[in-house]
Amino acid sequence: MLKIRNGRDFVGGVTMICVGLLFIWFGRGLEAGNSFQMGPGYFPTMLSLLLMAIGALIIGQSLLVDAEEGEPEAWNWKAYLLVILGPVGFGFLLAGLGLAPTMLLLIVGVATASRYANWRHSILLGLFLSVCSVLLFTKFLSLPVSAFGPWIPFIGELF
Amino acid sequence: MDIFSNLWLGASTAFMPMNLFYGFIGCLLGTAIGVLPGLGPTATIAMLLPITFGLPPEAALIMLAGIFYGAQYGGSTTAVLINLPGESSSVVTAIDGYQMARNGRAGAALATAALGSFFAGSVATILLAVAAPPLAAVALNFGPAEYFSLMVLGLVASVALASGSLLKAFAMIVFGLILGTVGTDVESGTPRYVFDIPELYDGLNFVAVSMGIFGICEILRNLENEHERSVGVRRVTGLMLTKEDFKRIIAPVLRGTALGSFLGVLPGGGAMLASFAAYAVEKRVSPNRAEFGKGAIEGVAAPESANNAGAQTSFIPMLTLGIPGNPVMALMVGAMIIQGITPGPNVISDEPDLFWGMIVSMWSGNLMLVILNLPLIGLWVRMLTVPYHLLFPAIIGFCCIGAYSINNSVFDVFVMAGFSVIGFALSKMRFEPAPLLLGFILGPMLEENLRRAMLISQGDPSIFVRSPLSLSLLIFAVVVLVLVLSPSISRKRDEAFTE
Repeated sequence: MLKIRNGRDFVGGVTMICVGLLFIWFGRGLEAGNSFQMGPGYFPTMLSLLLMAIGALIIGQSLLVDAEEGEPEAWNWKAYLLVILGPVGFGFLLAGLGLAPTMLLLIVGVATASRYANWRHSILLGLFLSVCSVLLFTKFLSLPVSAFGPWIPFIGELF
Repeated sequence: MDIFSNLWLGASTAFMPMNLFYGFIGCLLGTAIGVLPGLGPTATIAMLLPITFGLPPEAALIMLAGIFYGAQYGGSTTAVLINLPGESSSVVTAIDGYQMARNGRAGAALATAALGSFFAGSVATILLAVAAPPLAAVALNFGPAEYFSLMVLGLVASVALASGSLLKAFAMIVFGLILGTVGTDVESGTPRYVFDIPELYDGLNFVAVSMGIFGICEILRNLENEHERSVGVRRVTGLMLTKEDFKRIIAPVLRGTALGSFLGVLPGGGAMLASFAAYAVEKRVSPNRAEFGKGAIEGVAAPESANNAGAQTSFIPMLTLGIPGNPVMALMVGAMIIQGITPGPNVISDEPDLFWGMIVSMWSGNLMLVILNLPLIGLWVRMLTVPYHLLFPAIIGFCCIGAYSINNSVFDVFVMAGFSVIGFALSKMRFEPAPLLLGFILGPMLEENLRRAMLISQGDPSIFVRSPLSLSLLIFAVVVLVLVLSPSISRKRDEAFTE
């Protein structure tokens, strides 16, 4: 009787197979060529097949070998969401708001992911880091991003 | 003597005021960030890479190397003072170092670490200067087949020496290799996996990828079981070692240096393996082995010398063959490519200033660390007390701007965010991210050499076994694989990592 003895590895193996399938699917238009003159699709396709084979082996192992005892996983969905969406928001807002307000929002936003955060500290930290990053990146390293963007009409014109 | 003129050339580059300055800044930044808990050298370098883009190549690489040793050193400071290793290579330092600190000998432990590291760094630098030119000369005769086999050996060995499941590590390498194919195919000009996104035509940016899977992903893991650390740091006094201390650390430092220098050259080796092995050896051979675990000064001296020697000699394969053995070296290779230098045996002859300058700067960097760290210890201790809930937003902010500054485009920020999700999902399934980065960096080179070799042989794969050099590299790879798979060795390997 086969039963899944190591759920985490089983999922891992399935994931690897899916990744291989994805790359084969999206690379289906690439010319593979032959081993003498390899086309652009040859190497990625071979690797995807290899990855799927390894995935199958991992699945096999997960059916045969018991998982070792580990500490139970802790999940903190609020933290994941905030920390991952923070940079995404940064990317969308940077051009419109400019560096200083975007930085402030990012810092205050991601800081709430911690259970020890308090608003006063986060806002102070955010202000401090926006001033620093404006000085360092727009003034000193002259990145092509302004401190205040076009969405903030009045202050933006002062800089 | 050739080596002296080479070192002289290197000294004239490394001691240029500008390069000394950037080396100093690198050591300072590296230590400052390495001291912060939860940030290892890989994440530190990934985070700070963008600020070196604007520098000339010599200064940029000298600074990055400085960041690397600084981060390494900062990690051992936290290990001694609060029993919290900043990175994996100082895990064993914490065992006896923290006990020494509890016995009121924190100063002596830190001084031992600094002096041991400096001695090991000096020896490893000389070793690098002696070994690199002949190795590069051999590598110059490599054809595509030999290069392909060498990279296969490097990848196999890096998996063999890493901890955790072998199969999963292989999966990560292959995944990394596939990710490396994203972008325009060099030979045919065909875009691959770009989904009509113009930014992807140059491939995924490795800085954004590594910031995602190392920097942001570490934060996600740390936030999972977050608890406020009450850091009770003692005042550090008594930095001077007694005569008795000196007598006790000489042999461990020598043994640690020798072992670390050797293990650092191996692919996948480097600082972590070196420090573990040195501690294990010392525990067997030391006349004071009864004191181990209770604050033996040998237990600090040996692993600290070994990890610094290993960190230094891991530059050998990277600089001479262009093959990174660990994720930090993979980042260095990436930094060289960004600076327009193709890593490999040609660097030594095409860019002698850069090559020898970097080698001499390793020595000067180590000297700076000794001078810098012992007096500044109070500052580092103060940095330790920065609470994590103020630290991680700053890291995220810095990563965002850093990713943006790579190409002045927010696309790389999205890539970073995407890879933090991928890296996090992988780590939840217990896949190690380090081999992924190695595969990602080596992928394009591996493919290019494979295709060229097959073109030369007209599609006959026996080209890889006909050249004696390539054949022996492949046999070596197979031997490594068999050794690791054999049950008795794998048991030893597990022991070595749990010890």
